[in-house]
Amino acid sequence: MGKGLQAVLDAVDVETFLVGASETECIGLARALMEEIGFSDCDVLFLEHRGLGARVRLRAYVHRPGMLYAWLGETASASGGGD
Amino acid sequence: MAAKVLLAPLDPVHDVGLKLIRKHLVERGHRVVLLPPDLSPEEVVQAALADSYDALLVSRTIGYEAAATLARLADLLDVAGLRPHLRVAVGGMAVRPELAAEMGYDAGFGPGTPPEAAVAFVEGKPVEETGAALAGPVVAAVAPAEVTGAGVAGAGGSRPTAAWLRAHSYEWRDHQIGRLARQLGEGLLAWTERKRTPATERAALRQDAGPGAQFPEEEYLALCSPEVAAMRRGELPPGCRPVEEEEAQRLLDRLRQAPPHQLPGGPLQQRPEAPLAVFVQYGTGCPLMDAAHAGVALAWGADGTVHFDPAWGARHEGLPRGLLSWSADGTFPTAENLSFYRQAVPGGLWQVRAHRGLNTPETVVLAAWAGADLTKINPVYGSLGGGTDPERLLVDAVAAMRLAAWYRLPFDVVTNEELGGVPAHKALAGMLAVVAAALQLGARPILQPLFCYSPEAMLEGYMDHDYVDWNAAKVMCLREIIDAPMWVGAPIGFLTHTEERVQSATTTALHALLAAWLQVDAITIASTDEAYSRGPITVASRVDSLRAVMESWRFSGPVERLLPSPRAREMAARLGEGIQATLAAALEKPSFCQAIYDGVFGTREEGGNPGRAGQGTVSRS
Repeated sequence: MGKGLQAVLDAVDVETFLVGASETECIGLARALMEEIGFSDCDVLFLEHRGLGARVRLRAYVHRPGMLYAWLGETASASGGGD
Repeated sequence: MAAKVLLAPLDPVHDVGLKLIRKHLVERGHRVVLLPPDLSPEEVVQAALADSYDALLVSRTIGYEAAATLARLADLLDVAGLRPHLRVAVGGMAVRPELAAEMGYDAGFGPGTPPEAAVAFVEGKPVEETGAALAGPVVAAVAPAEVTGAGVAGAGGSRPTAAWLRAHSYEWRDHQIGRLARQLGEGLLAWTERKRTPATERAALRQDAGPGAQFPEEEYLALCSPEVAAMRRGELPPGCRPVEEEEAQRLLDRLRQAPPHQLPGGPLQQRPEAPLAVFVQYGTGCPLMDAAHAGVALAWGADGTVHFDPAWGARHEGLPRGLLSWSADGTFPTAENLSFYRQAVPGGLWQVRAHRGLNTPETVVLAAWAGADLTKINPVYGSLGGGTDPERLLVDAVAAMRLAAWYRLPFDVVTNEELGGVPAHKALAGMLAVVAAALQLGARPILQPLFCYSPEAMLEGYMDHDYVDWNAAKVMCLREIIDAPMWVGAPIGFLTHTEERVQSATTTALHALLAAWLQVDAITIASTDEAYSRGPITVASRVDSLRAVMESWRFSGPVERLLPSPRAREMAARLGEGIQATLAAALEKPSFCQAIYDGVFGTREEGGNPGRAGQGTVSRS
């Protein structure tokens, strides 16, 4: 896990607007986006499709409660994709 | 001593920041010259050479070529020989403190730095990196502490709780309702006499031993459910782990190293436009993560935090022990977890809830010893909506109230049963009966009506057009009944939030605005993750809501008490009638307890479901 991700207290949210024809397509695009960024396990926290595409918020947890926290200097066993 | 200060806006037009600073400096007696905008660095240096200034404050708003311009100015000032006796600071939207430091300026003030920071610089007083205000309390960095896990004597009396809770007389303004509530309260206290439960016995074991002292473990285990007993013997459930002392100490050290922080302008509570306390709820399951979240929330303006215990614990007798971490819907209120929290988060008001489950009196004891400022007690909600058997919880709650009075812990009496569908007038009636009992015990109860889009409101259409009237009606009605502190929750705007972050922040902010207009004493606010249930709340989502609340109060400013609409007045009157009828109906039952079972405070169909946890565990001494 790089030092940027290590410093994330809990989760990384990505907010953007994805161009797509439907909600279903945009959900797929959202997950693809997170994979491309490096988060293999993410949640589509919010998605609203209107017109050209969807406003989305995506979340990947890097440190969940109960884990060892890299920002505390602990060795995190999680990969860059969160838990 | 008055200083001579030169102010130079290094922008084509922007100079309002320096004009504000000039106002503050002049008020403090300094002599100030403000240059016009649209000067070059060379012209600024010429102006600085024209008189013997003590300080030069430069602002830069436009980001384009900001670094180059400021670097040039720094060089010119050096060449002109001004630096030995002229202190120079730069600030503005385009400035970053670290950039200013690299260029050799004496200080750099980034966006959002209050004018007071510039004044402090001119006067040679310490200025924090964040440009913290001079006035108002600063959240102190954590003093070095060892993680001992031992409780400490309750410090409730020394915290600013009394100052936060405005003076209230607890006078019953509606004498009829007051009489009915007092009768019910007296009856409840008489009914609980000489009754005991495993929870009251566990609380007694702890109290007899004293804070941090060992109590007879085997006696305690005999009063615990098997799952808790197993945990106390070290058999932790999957996902639950003890926190290593080193790990905990590392967080304490980290918090201690963080610079003192303060929201520009002071905590939200100290804003003149909304002098009410803002609480946030926490309970990730992990005391380290909790402390991190709480610290951030307090830095972003929260006045206090509310500990959430997990639902699991509410169904089991006894409390585990140790500094325990797991990912759950709440954090165990073990003595060690609570003690650690107070060490890690010494600032802010702190509430530990004891309103449902099988451990309420014991939780009050531990909360007091750990230094909590408040607790939460309401057996009516806890039994109709919290899963605990009414008979059991009434006995425990009276014990908890006695303990809260003993330890001088005010507590709120919340009406969460509304969320299950119980009509507000019944929930408020239950609240008032508990309040009456509490007053007879010498306790300091706080009313906690809900600002929520409840099932009743949905079904009856009370909030079809706005979220104002029905919420305002509750506050108005209660004010006409009793003069008592009011802390609306829980959180405000409950069931109006969605997963859309802006909507979520906005609804919280608008409900906070209403609360300020109604001049309540406190609010509990949600994060923007309130409606998100697929993972833990994130710290950024807490900041979202706090910022939104701050902005709503900034928008509104100090407002006279809200003028209620005729509709709100009608609703308040109906609520009052309903409360009176409910209390009268409860008095016709053999006991307060029977009234709960019989649905007086909420029928099953309405959503009042008497709980089963702890059924049959009340005995007589």
